[in-house]
Amino acid sequence: MAGRQIYRPDGFSNTRYGERVTGFSFQFKAQYYRGFTLSILRDIQIEIDGEKIDRKDIQIEVNKERFTLEEARTVVDPDYRWEFGEYATVYVKKNGGLAPGVHHIRSVQIIAPSYMPFELQAVCETDFVMEGDSL
Amino acid sequence: MSAQIKRSVSLYSYQDEYYDGKLDLEGCLRETAKTGATDVELLAEQMIKRFPLPIEDEAFRENWFSMLKQYGLTPSCYDAFLENRIYDNRTLSLGEQINMMKRDLRLASLLGFPVLRTLVSTPMDVIEGSLEYAESVKVKIGLEVHAPFSLNSHWAEGYLKLIQKNKTPYFGFIPDLGIFCKNLPDVLRDKARRAGAKETCIRIVDGAYQSRRDKGFVKIKYDLNLGKANMEYRLANGLKEMMDAVEKAGGGPADRMYAESSFTYSWSDPKDLIDNIDYIFHIHAKFYNVSEHYEETAVAIPEVVAALKTAGYQGYLSSEYEGGEHLRQDMDVDSIEQVRRHQEALKRAIEG
Repeated sequence: MAGRQIYRPDGFSNTRYGERVTGFSFQFKAQYYRGFTLSILRDIQIEIDGEKIDRKDIQIEVNKERFTLEEARTVVDPDYRWEFGEYATVYVKKNGGLAPGVHHIRSVQIIAPSYMPFELQAVCETDFVMEGDSL
Repeated sequence: MSAQIKRSVSLYSYQDEYYDGKLDLEGCLRETAKTGATDVELLAEQMIKRFPLPIEDEAFRENWFSMLKQYGLTPSCYDAFLENRIYDNRTLSLGEQINMMKRDLRLASLLGFPVLRTLVSTPMDVIEGSLEYAESVKVKIGLEVHAPFSLNSHWAEGYLKLIQKNKTPYFGFIPDLGIFCKNLPDVLRDKARRAGAKETCIRIVDGAYQSRRDKGFVKIKYDLNLGKANMEYRLANGLKEMMDAVEKAGGGPADRMYAESSFTYSWSDPKDLIDNIDYIFHIHAKFYNVSEHYEETAVAIPEVVAALKTAGYQGYLSSEYEGGEHLRQDMDVDSIEQVRRHQEALKRAIEG
């Protein structure tokens, strides 16, 4: 008896710019039943180990294109929908990234399908292990 | 006229297997055929990536029709979404919305669908402005009648007038059988229990649903502000009294979730189908849990099918499984088995 998988288990990693660790990334699936244009993705809110991430430090990537959440508001191109059942990659700016070991992530996907009188909020929580630095 | 009720499956039903990558579009068609259904309903935005581009592509369509042929299926209904708030700073203008509706009608016709489902949030002007085009591509626009909306209501009246004024067979209703729930689905109740709901609170909520059903639901009004219409509807049907009782019984989050969710289900008299039969050409046979004895635990299938027979219904009953949303957080969902059982339950009711 196991619930549905939202986060890709091996999808967590630190991100680098040259030698510097500048943040981390993860992959998850939208908790809705169809694909949608990023323009109706109203927000992704992230808390990592209880620490809230600033909205401007979050980017989302679908089909190899990366957008800030602010930019996503106007993305309606069919090539850059968040497809049903597919992972999007989320990049989070955070100096030093995440230390090796167990972490807890709580993120909220907020989308606004036009026909709904309110926004849909999906809370996605999991523990995960950040692998140690192999460099 | 004696009824001819055909069985369809909405691929929406298989969303959990699709999400997990266990079924793709072809896999869903294959499973549909195995149930004995003859027809198939599609949400293009769910299972066609890069919507709507592939539908414009001839090779894609050739493959679609060859799969339908291979599995012996006919297209029944295309589910459209009219994303009229695609930008967060405005609602699309009337002209833009009509153009979007025309695009969707065209996409439906390209894939061979005779009917397009539009949602309750579709303004009447958009439907009226698309009717001539619908007729030209021979695709009927069906307005989904989904809880908390209902037939024989102030909300439905306006749309009926539109049909009568335009004397058109190209617009009508697609009732969703979630408006014929004799009680709340057991899978919802069990989810509340797993989340820690108290039996006293569950009894309060079940009792409140029963009393709404016995007294007759106060029906929803037409209002483009859906949030406002919905809240008025809930208050008129005893939301506050029920929530107060749950609060008084020491209800926590799981109890409040169960109580609030109870308003996503409703009960209408199945004779509403008979009254409106001239305007019904497709039905979403929503269901939540069919037991191994082929009994759906919330939707009144025998009563609904009996009403459709009396009315001489000539259209589809399209299985739409939605019980998975109450399971997937905690356990695997077996939509394939649920749809199989549901099709058997429909078959027995239709042939019985």
